[in-house]
Amino acid sequence: MAEDLNWAVGGEAGDGIDSTGKIFAQALSRAGRHVFTSKDFASRIRGGYTAYKIRTSVDRVQSVVDRLDILVALTQRTIDENLDELHDGSAIIYDGERSWEAEIPDEMTAVDVPLKSLAEDAGGAIMRNIVALGAACEITGFDVEYLDEALEKRFGGKGSKIVENNKKAARLGQEYVQENYDLDHLGYNLETTDNDYVLLNGNEAIGMGALAAGCRFYAGYPITPATSIMEYLTGRIEEYGGHVVQAEDELSAINMSLGAARAGARSMTATSGAGIDLMTETFGLVATSETPLVICDVQRSGPSTGMPTKQEQGDLNMALYGGHGEVPRFVVTPTSIDECFWKTVEAFNYAEKYQTPVFLVSDLAMSVTEQTFPPETFDMDDVEIDRGNLVDEDEVEEWLDDQGRFRAHAATDDGVSPRAIPGTTDGAHMSTGLEHDELGRRTEDTEVRVEQVDKRNRKVETAKEREDWDYREFGDADADTLVVSWGSNEGALVEALDYLEEDGVDVRVLSVPYIFPRPDLSEEIEAADDVIVVECNATGQFADLIEHDTLTRVKRINKYTGVRFKADELAEKIKQKLTEEVPA
Amino acid sequence: MSSEVRFTDFKSDKQPTWCPGCGDFGTMNGMMKALAETGNDPDNTFVVAGIGCSGKIGTYMHSYALHGVHGRALPVGTGVKLARPDLEVMVAGGDGDGYSIGSGHFIHAVRRNVDMTYVVMDNRIYGLTKGQASPTSRSDFETSTTPEGPKQPPVNPHALALAAGATFIAQSFSSDALRHQEIIQEAIEHDGFGFVNVYSPCVTFNDVDTYDYFRDTLVDLEEEGHDPTDYDAAKEVILDADKEYQGVIYKDENSVPYSEQHGVDANMSEIPDGAPENAMDLVREFY
Repeated sequence: MAEDLNWAVGGEAGDGIDSTGKIFAQALSRAGRHVFTSKDFASRIRGGYTAYKIRTSVDRVQSVVDRLDILVALTQRTIDENLDELHDGSAIIYDGERSWEAEIPDEMTAVDVPLKSLAEDAGGAIMRNIVALGAACEITGFDVEYLDEALEKRFGGKGSKIVENNKKAARLGQEYVQENYDLDHLGYNLETTDNDYVLLNGNEAIGMGALAAGCRFYAGYPITPATSIMEYLTGRIEEYGGHVVQAEDELSAINMSLGAARAGARSMTATSGAGIDLMTETFGLVATSETPLVICDVQRSGPSTGMPTKQEQGDLNMALYGGHGEVPRFVVTPTSIDECFWKTVEAFNYAEKYQTPVFLVSDLAMSVTEQTFPPETFDMDDVEIDRGNLVDEDEVEEWLDDQGRFRAHAATDDGVSPRAIPGTTDGAHMSTGLEHDELGRRTEDTEVRVEQVDKRNRKVETAKEREDWDYREFGDADADTLVVSWGSNEGALVEALDYLEEDGVDVRVLSVPYIFPRPDLSEEIEAADDVIVVECNATGQFADLIEHDTLTRVKRINKYTGVRFKADELAEKIKQKLTEEVPA
Repeated sequence: MSSEVRFTDFKSDKQPTWCPGCGDFGTMNGMMKALAETGNDPDNTFVVAGIGCSGKIGTYMHSYALHGVHGRALPVGTGVKLARPDLEVMVAGGDGDGYSIGSGHFIHAVRRNVDMTYVVMDNRIYGLTKGQASPTSRSDFETSTTPEGPKQPPVNPHALALAAGATFIAQSFSSDALRHQEIIQEAIEHDGFGFVNVYSPCVTFNDVDTYDYFRDTLVDLEEEGHDPTDYDAAKEVILDADKEYQGVIYKDENSVPYSEQHGVDANMSEIPDGAPENAMDLVREFY
């Protein structure tokens, strides 16, 4: 594995930390380097510690690690917060002219750059972060021209003057370090390649997947960390004749999405756990009325308002069991940013093929993390759209009863009924959350009740047979140690394999992107000596499911600090688990 | 459907379970007649209903329909209409449905001004749960949950609507069949959100707001020479708590419906077999 660099910029919210980090990440991506970013942020608009971290390598990177090589610190707290990750060889860029006296451990390389003054020389103090980026380029031996490209992308819309000033600011930072420091001992010389990469986060991938899949309607209510899906779709969905509504609340959002779906549009709503709670009322209606709808839950720490800007995978049980009564639903859980795209496409197909709500469950770690991919990762030619059993005016005839009424909930063998969208001649019918007969009309008839419940559940059996509810596999297929995971832990696990290999520990990793229906792991678990389930929650919701499915006790690695797993941390934990007994 | 649409085409073969004499019969008949009269047929009509006696309307009418959850019919109607501008969308609910649990949605539906018709079957009581006070019940109206009356003023839905920027506000009485139908028709034809509160008496649980009461007190705004395009006159009518009236109270002739404001006019049910032709541009944005 090639040498990787871990870089961060930190300060107070409102200091432009996010855009500074994004610009550097884009520059690295333009240089053909792989990038993986992570963010520390608090639930406030201004003030409070916030940081943007980048790990970059010429090889693929898909996790954060416990190491920080270069830190741009706009506040002392930025240094203090990251002391654990800083090491003797770390360089810290700071502005000694500013009012705070930086306390930097002696072993580290302090790079004092007059960020503000140099920015003012370039045309404005606001560009002090760009000066710091120029300094970072010099320290790492990274060609500042890649930074120019990122600056053009970022500020091109604001006019050439702004772009030029920013480029100048970067040069001043670079030259200052060149003239005042000799940092050859740090030994950086960031390699570049000719590869073209795209850089995007999980929410952008979900939004892009929705557009590729023909989503035309989206209603949502702002909530961290789901909002950026709505922001992505707004302004883009119109290109395809679609529309985004910012609803008055989540209840409205899901009901609007339901209305659009009933009218025949591919429709989606997205929120986080607290919003899902509100939507749960209508979720049952969506399922019982057999309306195809994609409901995306970008999980954050709960319960209640929990920690809104922190990572967790605590909503799995909610997705599986939320809502009163019993209704089928699919639960799809992308395991990486590129899979956020593909699983979104799948979610729309499942929704229409099986006329069910599909929970697309992502998490904060994926939603705010940017990662580089070759553009062909998202090859649009591979996008297939299957609208399921939509009947047109001719086909509708087959589904009329002897009085000419459309059997919208016909109890078919596979459980999938014909679907006539409004406007289809002779397809008029009612849908309701009340138990209903084949025509969609309310009933309390015991036989019809059982028939309709069975019919709806039969769709799941059909889907289990027709689709691949598979897992993604990594590591050594013959290893005695099996690690199972869902959601965003995959990247860290895959990288943990390298650390484990160095220590002679062979591991087989199964990353499961489907929770319901889900792959049967009985054979895989039986073949392993040790089974460890990794997830970001306290109780092990996924581990419970595995134990339930396979009647086998598993070991658990749970993290619920609000911070995602790191690759090196996971490797340590896995090694530690191997020495423990399986719980009785 | 055949080209000649009769209002009975909008009737389902399900017998209503409303109490004999319920105002909702008249309310529904007027809606069906207005739909037929304005050139609609069951295959291009979408009726959304809430919960309660009023919510049963989707069952008794024949069209594309959704019977939703309590108070949330308006957002469903909004989604239907935005996705399918070609459909005639009618949302029906009760006073509890619309002004209590759904009051938040009501205000926002009004201000969105989506081109649909909202009919509230207002009987000033919760009927299906057997006689509790509703948001429009009089403050001294004795019910099982308010033995001494709610002791709070009733909601004034028209005032809420006007304050929220409504472009069409009307009131009708289910028993005055012709006027009721005319008013619903005008709401359908309005370019924007057509809101009609319908006095639809509950013969079982409300012995105050009866047919006789409305017949005796109802003032027809048209006969009074009320000009619905006059905002101040509308405001005066709406804030006159002593008056029961029917007719179009306010109509903004310059109403610009949501679809026009936002340029939403595509039939969203039509999508290609795969990703859009230029979909790789979406990826290239991330270079």
